[in-house]
Amino acid sequence: MKRGFKACLLLCACLLSGCWDRTEINDLAFITGSAFDLTDTGDYKLSLQIAIPSSNQGGAAGGGAQQKFFVLSATGKNANEAFEKLQKKSSRKLFTAHRSVIFIGEALGKKGINGILDIFVHDPRQRLRTYIMVVKGGEAEKVLQTKYPFDQVPMEAVKEMEGQQSEIAVNLREFFISASSPGIDPIMGAIEVEPEGNEQVKARLFKLAGSAVFKEMRMVGLLNGEETDALNWATDHMEDGRINAALPDGQGNVGMLVTHARRKITADTRGERIRFKVLLQGKGTLIENNTDLNISRPKNIALAEQALEKSAEKQVSEAMLKLQKQFDADAVGFGQILRRNKPKQWKTIQKQWERKFAEADIEVVVKLSIAGAGMAGPPLQWSKKEIRE
Amino acid sequence: MRQNPKYPAMQESLDTAGDEEARLTASLELNEATFRHVFEDCSDIVFRRVRFERQESLLVIYIASLTDEQVIDDHILKPLMSRGTGQADSEQSGAEALKDRLITSASARLSSDVNEIVRQLLNGQAAVLQDGDSVAILVKADGIKQRSLEEPSSEPVIRGPRDGFIENISTNMGLLRSRLKTSRLKMESVTVGELSRTQVVLAYIAGIATESLIGEVRERVGRIQIDGILDSGYIEEFIEDLPYSPFPQTHSTERPDVVAAELLEGKIAILVDNSPFVLIVPMTFWTGLQASEDYYIRWPVATFVRWIRFLFIFIAIFAPSLYVAVTTFHQEMIPTNLVLSIASARESVPFPALFEALLMEIVFEALREAGIRLPKQIGQAISIVGALVIGQAAVQAGIISAPVVIIVSITGIATFTIPRYSFASGVRLLRFPILFLAGTLGLYGIVLGFLGIVLHVASLRSFGVPYLTPLAPIQPSSLKDTLMRLPIWAKRHRPQASGSADRVREPAGQQPSPYRGKRS
Repeated sequence: MKRGFKACLLLCACLLSGCWDRTEINDLAFITGSAFDLTDTGDYKLSLQIAIPSSNQGGAAGGGAQQKFFVLSATGKNANEAFEKLQKKSSRKLFTAHRSVIFIGEALGKKGINGILDIFVHDPRQRLRTYIMVVKGGEAEKVLQTKYPFDQVPMEAVKEMEGQQSEIAVNLREFFISASSPGIDPIMGAIEVEPEGNEQVKARLFKLAGSAVFKEMRMVGLLNGEETDALNWATDHMEDGRINAALPDGQGNVGMLVTHARRKITADTRGERIRFKVLLQGKGTLIENNTDLNISRPKNIALAEQALEKSAEKQVSEAMLKLQKQFDADAVGFGQILRRNKPKQWKTIQKQWERKFAEADIEVVVKLSIAGAGMAGPPLQWSKKEIRE
Repeated sequence: MRQNPKYPAMQESLDTAGDEEARLTASLELNEATFRHVFEDCSDIVFRRVRFERQESLLVIYIASLTDEQVIDDHILKPLMSRGTGQADSEQSGAEALKDRLITSASARLSSDVNEIVRQLLNGQAAVLQDGDSVAILVKADGIKQRSLEEPSSEPVIRGPRDGFIENISTNMGLLRSRLKTSRLKMESVTVGELSRTQVVLAYIAGIATESLIGEVRERVGRIQIDGILDSGYIEEFIEDLPYSPFPQTHSTERPDVVAAELLEGKIAILVDNSPFVLIVPMTFWTGLQASEDYYIRWPVATFVRWIRFLFIFIAIFAPSLYVAVTTFHQEMIPTNLVLSIASARESVPFPALFEALLMEIVFEALREAGIRLPKQIGQAISIVGALVIGQAAVQAGIISAPVVIIVSITGIATFTIPRYSFASGVRLLRFPILFLAGTLGLYGIVLGFLGIVLHVASLRSFGVPYLTPLAPIQPSSLKDTLMRLPIWAKRHRPQASGSADRVREPAGQQPSPYRGKRS
């Protein structure tokens, strides 16, 4: 008897310590993406893309005309209010754990995103690995409504695009880390809806469109694709990058695939203006040679290297200049580097960092080494005589 | 034979002439009357009178249904009738002379105890009684039809011996003896069952099996009191350590090679007459996952196959539960694309996932049961019905979702990878409580269930040997044949589990190599 009582107690301890949260999978509405926009009255408009599971069963039977998703929108003073309104529109429980991307409309980004970010931290059902992106030139909801030919739901496509790391991919966690760290301003990826084909067929696609730079939770500007590549390299996030350069004598151009990229930033705080030296090293192969040079000769390789270095230096310098002068946002994290390498100086500089950064001299040096010349030396369409050795 | 005072009826039904110490008398008429009384209304008893000129007469008694009449004709009646009894040597008494001179059967002995004679008649012997003599000659003449040795259908192998035990215990003992030709192979015989009088044989190798284990088995088998033993399953239930466990604690097999191998490891085999299944004790958890073929195929393959089984026993217990738990409690754990395809498969299903899985599992068990019970000719029909109706139609009708069918089939296959049938049945049974836990408490419930199983298995013992030996308690040297199946030449010691007295199996240094034996 006593044993039975003890067993009961144990069972109670096991069973009464939590909430029951059983939900059938077909009572859930899987949110695949959210979008925040600003309304005219200054409220937030929250749109959700919800996957329709029944349509992707048996592709042939469905006929392809069926919807794969639908979009719900609601406005509210904050995200929670909007979300509650959306829940009332949905017969199934909105389930956020599978959301892969959060979009922010450009207008809202410019106004500031402080008001919508907190819900992603407080609510345990959110995932910090969700990508966050700015929608360039338009309402974020438009992206959600875009049909994408690949993948069951379009947002999975965005997730894949981001996963390729071809441009900057920032998830909530990374965004929060850089937003809260001193000496660095956060960035996030940008996406753009572009019409494909003629306007009558409303087939639209989205494409990655560089990155958005934030300062004090307000978007200060967008970087285009090239500038984003440069930023990627400067922040040491580049996996592989492509550099193109025209040869100085006007004899065509060369293209390189950088596979091993490294960067090193050194700071010199002795002068009035802080001097940063950004050393970018890259190793890779030449993948395109539109010149008449026989590229398998070392001296020609050196020629190509020089041209490429110059081109890359220009690209990165321009991006740095834009960040420094136009946006006045330290997206690379020069301040952070200073803080790590010269903590004592950082303490004195910290307060006036904004001004110091705008004034700082940033020198970009690119060192490339071409490790392979690809399959052929000179282009195969040239005859032997035409090739410059 | 011990009598149970609680069941006097059983005592009365004992095959005696009523009186405990009944002996034969000198009068043949009287003796015949005694036996006729004992075997009253038994239509298969035969009393055959043989008369000679000198008024001497003989009585041959046997039970026709148990004996081979050819043997009685050739070895008893023919010599007796052709030579008569007159030539008997006067030095010897009549019965003894008959036995020594005339009975041409290898086994013939004398007895004057009526109870003993009755018992031996029931074992298929023939009794020869002579007028004026109070001793009977018992001649072995049993000839009940046996089936031939076949490959055991419950434990088939690709490589390995193909003979299996049959229902006749002496044939089974012969199969064992032919594998272990040593006088150290002991076979103690016990009779169990008040009415069935079933012969039970405890086999072990003296010097390898420990005395304490032999004593324990002897005692547990000796304690059994029942009217009849029809299969070794009866014995199993009487000698188990924990009757409430889903796991079998004795290892039953139809294969003589398995029994011989286990005897060599110091275990004890219990052979039961009329049952092709031999029990081996003690049994461990790992025995349930080892097939006899593991030892006949090359060791890396055997090790791989064992790991497949380890993996699939987990699947057999947990696969449906994991599916139910993850789809009803932890949808965030599933990759997005997968969750969407599961969701679309479940879109038209009216039942909760738990009910769906439970339904399919029960249907699967029913199919399996029907497959065993049905006549072989209809078995194929059942498999077609099962595959088509359950697999196709239910999914197309939207009653069951396709993922559940997949999960249930994988689980079904997984249970078939467990080589020991009784062990697999226990595992099959465990699925259902875990499924309920998963459906009500999610992964938390599965963990609770898993802990429960681990606690139970870890505390289970078979004849004093912990069920998880040699993993818990750990015995490193015995692990060579548990998680791995090392080459035979590397397994120099018998497992400690059964506490074998003589542990070394083979000398060291037998690893084959081209230079072996050539080095000085």
